This record gives sequence, C-alpha cells and structure tokens, in this order.
Amino acid sequence: MGVLKAEPARAQDWAAKSVGAAWRAFDWQMAIFAILLAGFGQAMAYSNTIAAGDGVFDAGSTFARGLIWTAFALIAFVISAAFDYKWLRTFAWPLYFANLGLLGLTLVIGDGVSGAARWIALGPFQFQFSELAKILMIIVLANYIASRQKSLDSIWTILGACALMVPAWLLVLLQPDLGTSLVLAAILAGMLFMSGASVRWLTILAVGIIAAVPIAWTYILRDYQKGRLLSFLYPESDPQGSGYQLLQSQIAVGSGGLFGKGLTNGTQNVGDFLPVQTTDFVFALLCEELGFLGAMLVLGLFIALIWRVLLTAWRSQDPFGLAIAAGIASMLLFQLVVNVGMVIGVMPITGIPLPFITHGGASLISIAVGLGILQSINIRQIRAEW
Amino acid sequence: MVAPAIVDERPTRERQLVRFLAFGIAVLIGVSGLTARLVYLQFVRGQVYQARAEQNRTVTEALPSTRGLIYDRKGRLLVANEPSYTIKIRPADLPFSKRDEVVARLSGLLGIDQADINMTIDANPGSRFDLVRVAQDVPIATANLIAEERLALPGVEVAVESKRHYTDGPLTSQIIGYTGAIDADTLKALKDQGYQPDDLIGQAGVESSYESTLRGVYGQETIERDAAGRKLQVLSTDREAQPGDSLVLTIDTKEQRLAEKAVTWAMNRANLKRGVMIVMNPQTGEILAMVSLPTYDNNKFAEGISRKDFQKLLRNPEKPLLNHAINEQFPPGSTYKLVTGLGVLADKKLGPTELVQTKAYIQIGADKFWDWNRAGFGRLNIRSGFAHSSDTFFYQMAQRLGIERLAYWAHQLGFGAKSGIDLPGEVPGIVPTNQWKQDTFGQPIFPGEVLQAGIGQGYDTVTPLQILNAYAALANGGRLYQPQVVREVVDADGTVVRPFAPKLIRKVKTSAENFKIMRLGAREVVTSRHTFNLVDVPVVIAGKTGTAEFGVRDSKGLLPFHNWFVAFVPKHKNVARPDSELAVIGFAYDSNTVGNVATEMVKYYLQMHFHVKGDYRLTYLLNKGNFYGGN
Repeated sequence: MGVLKAEPARAQDWAAKSVGAAWRAFDWQMAIFAILLAGFGQAMAYSNTIAAGDGVFDAGSTFARGLIWTAFALIAFVISAAFDYKWLRTFAWPLYFANLGLLGLTLVIGDGVSGAARWIALGPFQFQFSELAKILMIIVLANYIASRQKSLDSIWTILGACALMVPAWLLVLLQPDLGTSLVLAAILAGMLFMSGASVRWLTILAVGIIAAVPIAWTYILRDYQKGRLLSFLYPESDPQGSGYQLLQSQIAVGSGGLFGKGLTNGTQNVGDFLPVQTTDFVFALLCEELGFLGAMLVLGLFIALIWRVLLTAWRSQDPFGLAIAAGIASMLLFQLVVNVGMVIGVMPITGIPLPFITHGGASLISIAVGLGILQSINIRQIRAEW
Repeated sequence: MVAPAIVDERPTRERQLVRFLAFGIAVLIGVSGLTARLVYLQFVRGQVYQARAEQNRTVTEALPSTRGLIYDRKGRLLVANEPSYTIKIRPADLPFSKRDEVVARLSGLLGIDQADINMTIDANPGSRFDLVRVAQDVPIATANLIAEERLALPGVEVAVESKRHYTDGPLTSQIIGYTGAIDADTLKALKDQGYQPDDLIGQAGVESSYESTLRGVYGQETIERDAAGRKLQVLSTDREAQPGDSLVLTIDTKEQRLAEKAVTWAMNRANLKRGVMIVMNPQTGEILAMVSLPTYDNNKFAEGISRKDFQKLLRNPEKPLLNHAINEQFPPGSTYKLVTGLGVLADKKLGPTELVQTKAYIQIGADKFWDWNRAGFGRLNIRSGFAHSSDTFFYQMAQRLGIERLAYWAHQLGFGAKSGIDLPGEVPGIVPTNQWKQDTFGQPIFPGEVLQAGIGQGYDTVTPLQILNAYAALANGGRLYQPQVVREVVDADGTVVRPFAPKLIRKVKTSAENFKIMRLGAREVVTSRHTFNLVDVPVVIAGKTGTAEFGVRDSKGLLPFHNWFVAFVPKHKNVARPDSELAVIGFAYDSNTVGNVATEMVKYYLQMHFHVKGDYRLTYLLNKGNFYGGN
C-alpha cells in the first residue's frame, strides 16, 4: 500500500504520458461547444456572403475569409493546447512587453474607420491586435496573481494588477477602442474575484469607480459621446440618424419570430438595412434568420462553454491555471452580454464583438488560443493513475 | 490491495466554491436578461417589427402603361413608341458636396449645359427622393458610360423608357403636339390619377387634348428594395398596366403634305412670316389638313429639347409653338361679308335680287368710309355685291342690320366662340356688340364702327378655323359642325372604342335658300375674275377673298394687311347644291403683296389635290406692293 502523491505536473510528464491518457483528459465537450458556436458564425458568414451577392468561395468573400481564419484558429488551438501552459509563466513578461509593442505599433501604423487605428493589414487580411491583447493580458495577469497567492487579501495585489493593466488599457483606449478597454476591465475584475482577491477591497474599488461615473459624465465626455451612449434608450427619437442602427437592429431581431426567416432569407440582411451587419451586429441577423430558437441555441452554447471553462478553473491544480480560466470565462461572459445587449437595445453601442459569431480573424484566433491554453490546463492535471 | 489515498496538496485558498457559484449566477442572470429581452422583441413586439421589416423592404411602384399610338385617317402611323435611354437623378442620393462635380461630369458626357442640368434638378416637381429626368434619348454608348461610372456619379441612374417618335415631325407637329415632363402644379392636380413626379404628359396638340385617352392606366407593383432604395426584385404585380387607346386622326397625311407644300411655296415666294391652311370636309367637320407655319419639330421635344433651343422657339416673334389656325385671332376682312350678307337676307332687310347703289364712300358725320374701289360699282344685288366685295354695299347692309343683329348672325356662324375643336389653346375671337364695347371700352358702338364690323374690320377678330367653319356651313347648307381632328379612338387590340360621329353645333337659323344665294355669290367671286384666273382652273370652285388691314399706317398712309381666301368645291360642279366635301382656307399673315397670296396658295393646293394639268399660279401677284384699296 502506498500513497500516490498528486502534485503539479512537470514539463517532462507530457512526454512520459501516453497520448491516450492526454486525450482522455482533453475536454471534448468544451471543444464541441466551441466548434458549434464557430459553425453558427460560419453560417452567418455564408448568409452575409449570399446577401452581398458574392460567390460563396470567392476570394475575399466573408465566408471564404471565415474558412481561412477558422483553419488558422484550429492550428493556433492545437499549438496552444500542446504547449504546457505552465511554461507561459516563464514568458509572461516578454509577452507583456510584446503586447504593449503590438498595441503601440497599431497606434502608429494601424488603419481603421474614420481616423481610428484599430487593425494592421497583413497582406489581404486585417488583424486587430487588441483582440490578442486580451489573451496576452490574461496570461500576464494570471502570472501576477499566481505570484501573489500569499497576499490576496491586500489591496496592493489588486492595485498591482490594475497597474499592470493600465498601459495596455490606455493604448487600446487611444485607438480609440472603448469596447476592448471595457473588456479588459471586465477581465481584470473577473480574474481578481475568481482568484480570491479581497472582496472587501474589490467592492470598495467598484463603488469608487461607480461614484466616479457622474464626474466623468459631466466633465470628460462630450455631448456627442453622451448622445451616442444614450441613443440606445430612445432609438425612435432619431430613426434616420443616431437611432438608425439600433432601430434597424431591433427590427431585424423582432421580425425573426420563433423560427426566423431562414438562413439567407433575412430581408434586413439582404436589403442591407443594417450597417456593420457582418461584424458587431451579426447577432441581429442571426435572430432575424434563425429566430428565437437559433438565438437560444447560441446563448445555450455560450452557457455550456462558460460552464466548461469554469470547470477547467475548478479542476486546475494551480492558481495560474485557475486565473487564466477565470479570465477567459469573464471575457466570454462580458462580451456575450454586452454585444447581445447592444444588438437588442439594452446596452449602449460599443464596438464589442460576439466571440465566434462576429467575423474577424483576430477575435477567432484569440479565442482559439485561449481555449487551447484551457485544454492544456485540462490535459496537464495529474490524475490518479495506477 | 488497498486503493491508494489521494492526498490533494493543492492550496485550497484559490478555489472558493462560493465565488464559482457567484460567477455562475452572474452568467445565468446575464443570459436570462438577454432571453427576456429577446422574448419581448421577438414575441411581444414581433408583429410590429415584422410589419416594419416588411415596410422597410417593400415599396409600391408605378408600372407605366404603354402610351397609345396615333394614326392618320388612312392608317398611316404618325407616332411610334421607341425604347430610349434616359438619365435620371435622385437628388436625395446626390450629396450636396459632390453635386457640382457630378453635374460637371454629366454635362461633359451628355453635352448639356451644367446650368440646364442644375435647373432641371431644382425644378423637380417631386420630393428629393423622386427621380428627375435630366436627359432623354441618350445614345447607348453614353448610357453605358454613365452606368459604368455609377460609383463616381452618385444619385445618377440610367433608365430605359419609351420615347415618342413622330414619323413626320414638323409636318404634323401642330396637330399631334408632344409630351414633356410634368410640372409641379400639374403633378399636384393629377397626383390622384396616378401621375408620377418623373412622368411625361401631353403638352400640345392631341398629345395634350387626348392625354387621358393615350395614357392608359398605370399599373402597380410591389418591389423589394434595399436600404439604398435599389430595386432587388419584383415581389408582385398588384395591378397590370392598361395600355392607352390609340387615335385615328381625321388628318390625311397626303393632304397635309400638299397643304404644307402650298403654304411653303407662297411663304417663300412672297416672303411671308406666317401662313395657315386648313382643309375640311364641310359635311362632317373633319379636318383633313391643318398647316400653321412656321412650326417646330416635335421630335426635338421627344428627345428632350435643350433649354437653349426651347428659348429660341419661345422668343421667335412668329410664335412657331402656336397653331395660328386656332391659337391666334386676326381681323377677317371681306371673308366676314358672308355674315353680313347672310344676316341681311335672313332678317329680310334685303331682297334676294334687290339692287343697292354702291358708292365711292359712305359718309358718317365727318368721316368718309371708302369702297376699296374708289369708283364704286354702280347698282349691285347681293350676289354681285359679294362677288365684287363691294365695301359700300356691305356698309349699307351693316347699317340695315345694326350691330346686334350682325353679332347675332356672326354667332350663328360660329364667330366669337371657340369652335370646340379637339386641340388645346383655341381662342374665341371677338364679335363686337354694344355690350362688348361697353364692357371693354366703357362706350357704346359708334355708327362708323358698325360699318367696319360689317366688312370684317374694326373690332372683328377671328381664327382661320372659324372662317373655314362658317364657309363649311355655307357649303353644306347651314349646318355648323364642331371641327374634329380625331376621327376614332381604338384600343390596343384595334377595336374601335369611340367611332366617328359628326358633332353638330347648330343648324343656322335661316333658310336653305339664303345659303344657296350666298353660295352662288361665292361662285361669282370666282367667275367674275375677282380672283383672276382661278375660274380657269378646271375645277368648280366657290370662295371669298379677304384683305384685312391691321397695325400701323406706313409713310404713305397705308396699312399692312393679311390675305385670306376661303373656298369650297361642290361635289358635282354645282354650287347650288350643298354637297361640297372639300373646303379650304388660306391665310397669309402680313402679306403686303400686289395680289392675294392666299388665293394663289389655295389655288396651288386645289391644283395638286385635283391633279390638275397645267399650272395656273400667277406668281407676279406675290410680288411685294400694296394694292389696297383691296378686295
């Protein structure tokens, strides 16, 4: 009779373990939920391509680009799953500075709509590094939190995490990309909370930030910004102007009904009534074409995926893995609620993509990397073996 | 073997179940909130949004009908519909900042002045969202070029429309007219009848007077459109367009051509500014030919006339856009003696053979009213008085009738009122009465003015058609018909919808005998050689000349004058019988020739019409000069 000691795995364990054992630990459910969500995204890309009158497999069509990005995302997923996530701790600081460098570069040479600097052109593709920044910041913050296990009760742990976040946050805000900066804030909060940081201090800080909102509202935001933020409350007041997007979005959602109009049959989609239909507002067209049932399926898949991510956090044998999983879960939840909320008119319009569904290579690849790391966490937990 | 105990050495600090539960609850709350909102949008408000999505994408659009065609009485096609390219602008889609650039580019491509394009856009009768037609009948190459450049030309659209092609252009333009863009006021009035802001509507001739017949009924279709208003597909045809009915004119193109040839010859030879000829069947009121020169080419309008060309037509002092046969009134001169003569016989103020002494002049107070023949003609009866056109004879007849009875008989013969011809813009002319003089000048008619009224001078004004129609009544024995240029209306299948029927205005209230006397008088005009060699033409012609002074006296105290000649041809060479089927009037505006140009004009027409061998025209009569004392 002996005692089998469960301890954190080491790098060489990977080689020692049979491939079969690794696959058993692989979270198939998480992968399947993710693939189904990506499938919904690709279905909407197909519909958009048809609506735009392009050939489905034409180079440059939304659908074809989606397929290419999906392939890249799968590769990124496999690589990051094969990679021992614990090594990431070694790279945390280089990753941090690489992240700041890429965001800085985006500001300098990036392109975007109306003067913004959002993405960098890579040949025929555009890559939005702020999407990758979310994952990189999750790794960096997880490393930081894991290293502060002894002082989680201290306010300084929280402030330190904030200090780490601020440079990246400012660089994103300068693009300007309000949406991503909000996501980064949500990730930070979620990771600190789930990792066990002081609830008392987190609450105090949250109250402080909420208290600061009226001050920012009065003294920092300009009238047009306020108007844009508030227009979601009264879309009918200016149906051809600021409310147009939202109104058309709600018309798309509302006209979908239970079963939807059928893929490629959405009149709001085909008629091009909804601007940015392929990006931030794609969920509206999903509701229009696939109806309430389709929307529920997507929301259900998101719940299931977040559940699997939380399970990974729970199972993780080290605080680093837990923090990473918590960050990804926070990111998914926040983006889901804010994007869908925006589409259906209960959240202000901020440029936040819906993971998997919104078309965009950076978003998809970032998520794939994140899920790959989660699988790496799953695979590398020591199980009882005898 | 005992299973090994697993010692979990992980720190428990980082895994707090309550926090996981809290996160899970946050997920559920978030998704539930979204679900609730989705339920509200898709079920509670679903109907509303479905309706709005439908409203978004569908729009009903008018389906133009095919405009009816126009044939002459022999079935010759005078107007055809041809497909042609049209360039239209939807002002709402043309950003103001780009307008100058787009207009400049269009101007270059279409060869239209920028100012014209801008004026057309600004004169758009519809809203900013309605299309404005800026160019018609654009060559296909230009249309393709514009279609290819659509990205650089926002708001510009190329459409294929049906264009009117007028087979004979200027020859029949005064009768057929043309179509043109509807203006704002007309659109407002006709919107209920389905007129569109970019519609074409008849603007002159029968295109205008038979607009509702020719137009048909526009259909309606529901189309699916995108956010930019572009047509995606036709969803349903709610109502088929009904093609317009076609017109068969009373006009005989062959006669029209002969009449035009006669007028053109006279105008060139006598250097006239305006000339008119109308040919009519006195038995029915059908107009066989109607020429008014100078005229215009209605195909220019069909192709979209340039503002410059249109201004040129408007500024031309000879008013080529007016049909001088009906749209203008002139003094009738001696042709009006029919009214005086018939009136005095009808009122029995003159016996059929009663002789009246003619004189050099008639004196009223200090004024002398001269005969054109300053020697007088001696004693004349009504026939010879008419034949010689003795002014002093008819002065006395006018005195016998008085102004009111004279006006009565003028009205009986159709003067002072629109004939009711189915062409737009007819003027009524003036038949002076005491009342009229009082209303117009605040004075009664002076006795001298009665004399002038009796010989078609003074206040008398008429249209050429009115004189012809009065003589047609003479020729047919007293029936005044409403002249018509449209004989039948036929539908798209060729079935006659409205057959021809003569429209009798009135039977003139005097005996057939009196008309016969006047017809014999009219024949004597010819046989007495008052009209020179017209009697030598081997056709029995009766008629009446007129020389009507107007305007301002020249240095020799002479007035400029117009020439008239109105004639009819009895069917069986016997003017005693009211069987004529051919009446013609010639009018030479401001002629000032040695002889009566109008007579030569009508003579030439009749020669051609009857295929007379030999040419009886007396060209020296067309030399400039002033033979007044006149006829």
